[in-house]
Amino acid sequence: MDTFQHIMNGFLVATTPINLWYTFVGVFLGTIVGVLPGIGPSASIALLIPITFGMNPTSALIMMCGIYYGTKYGGSTTAILIRTPGEAASVMTAIDGYEMAKKGRAGAALAVSAIGSFIAGTLGVLGLTLFAVPLSSMALKFGPAEYFTLMVFAMTAVSTLTGKSVAKGMIATLLGLMIATIGIDLQSGQARFTMGVAEFQDGVGFVVVVVGLFAVAEVLRGLERVMTGTAPDAMKISGRLWLTKTEWTRSIGPIWRGGVIGFIIGVLPGAGGTIASIMSYTTEKRLAKRPEEFGKGAIEGVAGPEAANNSDTAGAMVPLLTLGIPGGGATAVLMGAFIMYGIQPGPMLFQNRPDLVWGLINSMYIGNVMLLILNLPLIGIFVRLLYIPQGILYPLIVAIAVIGAYGINGSTTDLYLILLFGVVGYVFDKIDIPVAPLVLSLVLGGMMEQSFRQAMTISGANPKIFFGSAITMTLVIMSVLSILLPLLLPLLKKYKEEGKDE
Amino acid sequence: MADRIILGSILVLTGVYFWATAQIPTLEIGDPLGPKAFPRLLGIGLLITAVMLFFEIIKNKKIARPPDTSSPPEAGSTIVVVGAVAATAVFFMSFEFLGYMLSVTIYLLAMTYYFNKKGRGVVNVLISVTYGMASYFIFTKALGVSLPRGLLPF
Repeated sequence: MDTFQHIMNGFLVATTPINLWYTFVGVFLGTIVGVLPGIGPSASIALLIPITFGMNPTSALIMMCGIYYGTKYGGSTTAILIRTPGEAASVMTAIDGYEMAKKGRAGAALAVSAIGSFIAGTLGVLGLTLFAVPLSSMALKFGPAEYFTLMVFAMTAVSTLTGKSVAKGMIATLLGLMIATIGIDLQSGQARFTMGVAEFQDGVGFVVVVVGLFAVAEVLRGLERVMTGTAPDAMKISGRLWLTKTEWTRSIGPIWRGGVIGFIIGVLPGAGGTIASIMSYTTEKRLAKRPEEFGKGAIEGVAGPEAANNSDTAGAMVPLLTLGIPGGGATAVLMGAFIMYGIQPGPMLFQNRPDLVWGLINSMYIGNVMLLILNLPLIGIFVRLLYIPQGILYPLIVAIAVIGAYGINGSTTDLYLILLFGVVGYVFDKIDIPVAPLVLSLVLGGMMEQSFRQAMTISGANPKIFFGSAITMTLVIMSVLSILLPLLLPLLKKYKEEGKDE
Repeated sequence: MADRIILGSILVLTGVYFWATAQIPTLEIGDPLGPKAFPRLLGIGLLITAVMLFFEIIKNKKIARPPDTSSPPEAGSTIVVVGAVAATAVFFMSFEFLGYMLSVTIYLLAMTYYFNKKGRGVVNVLISVTYGMASYFIFTKALGVSLPRGLLPF
């Protein structure tokens, strides 16, 4: 069967009543999670993994991806109405979106986010459809050495681009890899680093780490905020939920540009939705006829970044599905979900399970339509979520996390671990160690070690194999550059500035 | 200051990790690297990042930093977090003995009592009790997740 038929068949899979239902549940939950500040897609997907166990994997993954791209829609609502991003990537929307709301144009700001998200989101899925096949057939030629260097590049890019310090990003990456080495070594059968805990023989559970680092840590931060009383009040939606003709003509350019920027950033490892929306915002500000309006309620400053952070999610699905290598925290959690269902994402998936891959990709077209409806005419319902007292919300998140963490193995060790990782996540946040690189390297760690050892077996323990082909060389150079550039650029800048002074 | 503590902890961790790697027994069959090689590589990587962090600390010191104007972390909020962690730990310790429904209800009652003082007490009680019962029956009966029964007969 050729690709075109696979894609068409995927539409049949995506439109079965059961999968339509799970697409809806996914994007509905995604919108809720997006609206609620604090709790993000990574935590919610992790919470759902154990609960959805035993479901048909296609439906479960359709739902989880729905949460992932759905959060970006919901995040803008909170940004516009309370100037707090409901989701990290809507940080730029909070600037001009809130200013628009203050001027009585909240309706227009919400409308342009939803419409921009829809156009760019759909554009992104179209890009995913087009790029998936050529990339996955290229990846089929990858040997273990290529895979190892590709993973090294993904990890270095993520650790240098998330967070404020390269060294701290690397620390997070290495900690993730070290946690991944705990348990029985698959090749030799030797137990490693189990510290005498029987439960560690199978390794430290991925879900446990993610629920702790994202959900429990966020609860601790949230409870701290509740007590210091920094929870802001929500604005009322003002103005019709639609755009005037001038607003529309001003927005359409930023939406297209944001869509393209977001998709490209999404495909590349490391950067992610937040950087995509910042890049779109600065681009629009530079191109604008009246840049002084930015920060005071320019609709371009809402349309562009919202478009960018939505096509970013589709772009981020490209390396996850075609290479089996996620490029950030949330897609790493999604990959964890795939693996829990016994499905290894990557090029082979397009050959072995085209129904699943294309059913999933095509469900994203449908999900974006559903999200447009949920976030435009029905947005009033979700805004009510902002009135839930945080002092009730956060304890409830712990209660939900417990079901997931205990449900996997029926062991209280996992409960203590989510609390431990919750504290770790809370402390890491205070000392600026990012957690996304840790999650990424935890999910890739096992694969990384396997491909390392396979490559070394092939080469007879000669590390030259990692510099042996054009692909590996390119990846090695890119990895080295991704570490060195953030270190060298400030030095260069300083050198130039000093030159000017003289 | 915090960065120096991180640096110290990383060095200690590297030492412990190298030691633990050396403890892994090895059999020389087929696999030229064995189970120790990759962890050793990680240990070396950690040493390199420690060096990087050391230089970052020096670099940050050189940049004349404006005095920290942001308010120092309030001791009160730290106690709140420690308290929440302790309450959650007690919840987990009693989890299997009391059972899911009882322990989760008590936990929610206690937490909402403390953290949702502005709200009405009736609402807190209603939510805690309803959530405890509803989630237990939904997850154990409808979704087949096994949760401890504890002291209750169902």
